[in-house]
Parts: sequence; structure tokens; C-alpha cells
Amino acid sequence: MSEALFYQEMTEEEKYEQFMKRINTGEKIEADDWMPEDYRMTLIKLISMHGISEIMGALPEKEWVPKAPSLKRKLGIMAKVQDEMGHGQLLLRVAEDLMKPLGKTREDIMQDLFSGKLKFHNVFHMEAPTWGDAGLIGWLVDGAAIITQTNMLNASYGPYARALKRICAEEVFHAQHGEAIIMALAEGTDEQRAMVQDAVNRWWEALLMFFGPGDASTTGTSKQDTTIKYKIRTKTNEDLRQDFFTKYIPRVLSLGLTLPDETMHFDQERELWIYKQPDWNRFKDIIKNNGPKSQERLGLRRTAYDTNKWVREALNTAN
Amino acid sequence: MGNEGFYQEFEVFSQRTDTSPLQYQFSLLAPNRELALVMAQENFMRREAVADIWVVKRSDIRKLTPEEKQSLQRLDNKEYRTTKGYGYLKKKWRHYEQEMLDEKEILSWGGVKKGE
Amino acid sequence: MNEPAGNIPIDSKIKPALTSLLYQLADDDFILAYRGSEWLGLAPHIEEDVAFSSISQDTMGHAAMFYQLLSNLGEGNVDSLAHAREASERQNAVLLELVNGPGHYLSSAQYDWAFAVVRNYFYSQAKKIRLDSLKNSSYQPLAEVALKVNMELYYHLLHWKTWVIQLMQAGGEARTRMEAAIGKVLADFEGVLNLGPLAKEMAEHDLVEKEEVLKQRWLFIMKPVFESVNLSVSEADIAMKNGNGRIGEHTADLDDALSTLSEVYSINPAASW
Ligand SMILES: [Fe+2]
Ligand SMILES: [Fe+2]
Repeated sequence: MSEALFYQEMTEEEKYEQFMKRINTGEKIEADDWMPEDYRMTLIKLISMHGISEIMGALPEKEWVPKAPSLKRKLGIMAKVQDEMGHGQLLLRVAEDLMKPLGKTREDIMQDLFSGKLKFHNVFHMEAPTWGDAGLIGWLVDGAAIITQTNMLNASYGPYARALKRICAEEVFHAQHGEAIIMALAEGTDEQRAMVQDAVNRWWEALLMFFGPGDASTTGTSKQDTTIKYKIRTKTNEDLRQDFFTKYIPRVLSLGLTLPDETMHFDQERELWIYKQPDWNRFKDIIKNNGPKSQERLGLRRTAYDTNKWVREALNTAN
Repeated sequence: MGNEGFYQEFEVFSQRTDTSPLQYQFSLLAPNRELALVMAQENFMRREAVADIWVVKRSDIRKLTPEEKQSLQRLDNKEYRTTKGYGYLKKKWRHYEQEMLDEKEILSWGGVKKGE
Repeated sequence: MNEPAGNIPIDSKIKPALTSLLYQLADDDFILAYRGSEWLGLAPHIEEDVAFSSISQDTMGHAAMFYQLLSNLGEGNVDSLAHAREASERQNAVLLELVNGPGHYLSSAQYDWAFAVVRNYFYSQAKKIRLDSLKNSSYQPLAEVALKVNMELYYHLLHWKTWVIQLMQAGGEARTRMEAAIGKVLADFEGVLNLGPLAKEMAEHDLVEKEEVLKQRWLFIMKPVFESVNLSVSEADIAMKNGNGRIGEHTADLDDALSTLSEVYSINPAASW
């Protein structure tokens, strides 16, 4: 705020210039600050999708909350899924404040989810048919989420960066919760080991998709350039996917598990993991709510939301 | 978001211990302050100690506008208001063979009785 | 969970009453926490979902502590106590096993929030009264656990009471739903207040106070609450419509719950999970 210029006296270009200067010097933008329209819209899209993915992401794991095989695991997974709902809370609050000037509220977010306008992450459209999947989600899906979320810890938008700081602190617990389940299975009976291997096979393609297409040529659109320009994130989708491989492939293999991709290897010269591309057309289809569990989970979310409508109405004007 | 409706905005503050300052946590939506209060700890302080919680309705908070934030600026010419403007005393006291009673010294006076 | 720490030899005359009391305490908390875990992700409001889950976790934590006391008495390990017992061996109150509402927790769950808040509030209050009494239990390990568990009940009570009072005062559809839920909860609340066929022995050995004393205390504490929301409740409304869980009488809801909660455990009870 070094220039003593009043905002109303500034032209749009001057405001934009000052805004870019602020984010380029590492200053944080706050909810009430002036921001370019496409910055706001990019953030709303990114954060409401992130937030609603946490809320929808609670559902595949939810299946295993009542079924977890011991008291300790029941408590652990309950706390983990609770955190995911909590992440949804934090992120939706950030998105709601950004939407406020557009006259939109949480009610609109929920309705956009139900109408298909608001998408959620591809991984949460997938099936989780065994306890092995519950472990794998905590280990590798949360692992992938940690890679993308830590990449935005320094986001130029202050409220998002602060929410992510809280979230990432909890993700450390999630990662260990997932590892503990996987470790017990990997060191267990043949049947338990098979559970983990099946889960790895089942989730591998979805995990690759999680980071999004490498560039716009794959699926037609990509928001990554805008988010990098506005210092919301630093790395590209492909950078993040490579980071994930580097961190997790050695660990997966060390447990004696295999990856369902024979082409997978590290190219020493190019310092890149070489892998089979997932089916990006299928990816597009999945996030259009045509994944194996999309409709069932949306249905559950909608039913719960509608069944409880009377509660929100009853306390509508209470003060 | 007006003053009616289920989704009212509340800001949550908390104290970690009786002696720590009140700290801002985050915001939540609730239909009223009683429910805001019973949801606050579990939403933002599940893994830390809490000694007290305040919830404040956001619409009751008067914040600075971006323009008004410019009213916060001050010139850096107020040494007379800080110990920085009185540093020369150290040399003076040395002349009288006395120590300077600086911040560190003065703030150490509380509590401990002699002989303890 | 921990291995038995210094088993205290227990008088064989006391043991049946003591184990029955512990099974009631453990099974009550366990099954209600299980019902709470089915709610996870489906509460009327995201912030509330997070708060409710903490209460379910606390409650399951309490169950684990009571199962540990049983384990210390040689009843088996805590996970088999929680997962491997048949419905007929369970001593939880029937009210606490009843489903949250129509539908399955993974699809079409049309859970009843009025039933949730009333069941949890009434139960938390009864649990608080029981624990206050257990703080003076002649069985020292139980008195110690009661002291700890009691700490977390202040929040549970504050939370559920706030919801119950607000929804009762909201009038309209909410009031109708709440009154129906109260009716349903009271119709089986005797099963919660009941201490089973060994209640007399429990009191004689000073394990816990008399069932009737605890019941009157509950009524006494709830009376001003009922009055504050213009509701008349009499002792006669409290019944045991769906059976006495303390003697192993249960509904099909418990069978379904047990097969779900032990689904993975039962794949291989000897394996480490
Ligand atoms: Fe998360
Ligand atoms: Fe997570």
C-alpha cells in the first residue's frame, strides 16, 4: 500500500498493475481487496471445486467408517473423514466469501453440485469396494492431495493459503492413518495382501488422472496457466504428477506391490518418470458425473440435504 | 447474506490458555450464536487446548475499507515515544557507575522475592 | 488397546453384577457411537457434521475404556468384545440400537435429525447421572474411568441440549417432528434407565446407586427443561416398548448393525488389521 492513491481515483489498468505488483512481491490478497474479475472467478472455480470435493470425498471412505475392523481403526477413520468434512467447511467458507459480491451462498454451491454445474475430483467418483480401498485412499489419494495442496501453501490469496495451512497439517495425520492400514494389510495374510494389490490396481489410473491433464492439448482446456500467472500455484500438473511418482513409487514397490503399468520407469537422462497415459476421454466423462459411483453419491448427498431441509428452515430466522 | 436465514457468518476467536491472548481462528456458518458456539471448538480446535472461545457475528464487526487502511500509515519519526530515543542514557549512567534500567531489566522485576 | 494392567482380584460374589454393569456401559456407548458414525457426512449442516462426529468419537472412546475394564476382568480382548458378540449377548438399551431413520447409510439415507438430537440428549443426561454415581463406585478402576469419561460429557450435553431446545422452540413442522421423536425416545427410555436383573446386587455392592434413584434424578433434572419448552412429560410416558436390552432382547436393527460393523473384522478375527 505504498502508493497513496485512492482506489476510486485509479483506472482499471492502474488497479490491475498495482494488484500484479502486490502478488509479485509476495503480498497476500484478502477477501475485501480489489482483484481482477478473472482472478476472482478462477479462485471461485478452484476453491469451490476443492471444497465440494472434500465433502463428496467423505462418501467413498464413509462406507468404511462403520465397518472398520477394530475399535482403533473405527476411531481413526472417523476422525479422518471428519477432517475431510472439516476441510470442506474451511474451503467453502473461503469460496463463499469470494462469491458474496455475486450474491451467492452455500445454498447455491449445493444446488450447483446437484445440477452438475459444480464438479468434484475424479477420484471421488470411483468405487471403494474393500477395506483395502479405505487404506489406499488414505495413503495414495491423500498422498496425491498433499502434493497438490502443499503446492498452493503460498497462494497469493491469503484466505486460501491460511485454509490450506490448516488442511495440510491434518493431512500429515491422514497420510499416516492410510499408511498404518496399508502396512497392516501388506504385512498380513495372503488375503490381506491381495486386498492392497487389488486396490492399487483399481486406483492407479484414477491417481494419474487426479493431477489433471498435462496440457490443454489433452482435454481441450486447462486452467493451470491462469493459476500460475496469478501465483495461486507454482508447478504444472505434470510437475506434480512427477513429484507424486518420485515420492510414492519407491514406497509402493518396497512393500512388494506392483503397479499396473509395465511401461513405468524412471528415465535417468531426462529425469522423468515414463508412464502410460490414462484415458483422458474417460477422465472427462467421469468428472461430468458419469463415473461408476457419481450418481449414487450425488443421490445420497441430495437425499440427506433434502431430508434435513426442515432443520435449516426451522432455524432460519432464530436469533 | 442478510441478518436472517440459516447461514449466518460468525468469526471464531479462542484462547489457548488462561494467560494467552485471544487468537483469531476462522469463520463458520450457523443460524445463531448459541449454535455457533457449540460448533466452534470441534471445527477449528479439535487437536489443541482451549481455555475460552468467543464467537462474533461478522456483521457486528466494523472493519477498515481498503481506502481506510491508508489511515494506518505513520511517519517513522517518533523515537521520542520509544526507548530508541533515550539510548544516550546508557552512557550517562555509566558515568555515574550505574547500570541502565532497560526493558530486559525492568521486566525481570516481577515475581521472584529475594532469597527465593 | 492396552493389556490388563495389574488385575485386581475380584470377589466372585461381585463379579456377575460388575461385569453386567460394565457390559451395559460399554455396549450402550458402542452402539450409539456406531449409529453416530453412520450419520457422518449426512448431518443437516457441514459445521454440525464435524461437531457431531467428535461426540461419536468421544463416545466410542468411552466404550473402548469400558471394554478394557471387561478385558482386564478376563472377558476377552476389546476388539472381540466389540465386534464378535452375538446380539443376544449384548446388553445395550434397545433405544440406542434403533436405526437413524429409513434408508441405508450409503444410499437413500433419510435420517431423522429430530430423533438424533432427542436420543442423544436424553441419553447423555442419563449417562451423566450414571457416571456421577459411578465416580463413587466401590470398584476403583470403574470409578477412575467414570471420572475421566465425565469430563467429556459437559460438551455432549451442552451441544445436544442447545439443538433440542432450539428445535422445540422453532414451532411448526420442527415442533411436530420433535414431539414425535420425544414420544419415540420415551417409549423405549425405560430400557436406558434400567440396570438389568442384577440391579439390586449392583447397589448392594456399592457399584452404582439404585436404579430408581438414578431414574428420579433424571426426571428431576429434565423437568425444568421440559417446562421451558412447554412440554408435559410424566413418568408414565417412559416405557420399554421394544424389549429389554439388558437381558439380551433386541431388534432386527441390532442384527443389521452387527453384521455391518463386524464385516471386515469377521474376514479373519485372528488377523491383525
Ligand atoms: Fe482433505
Ligand atoms: Fe485428507
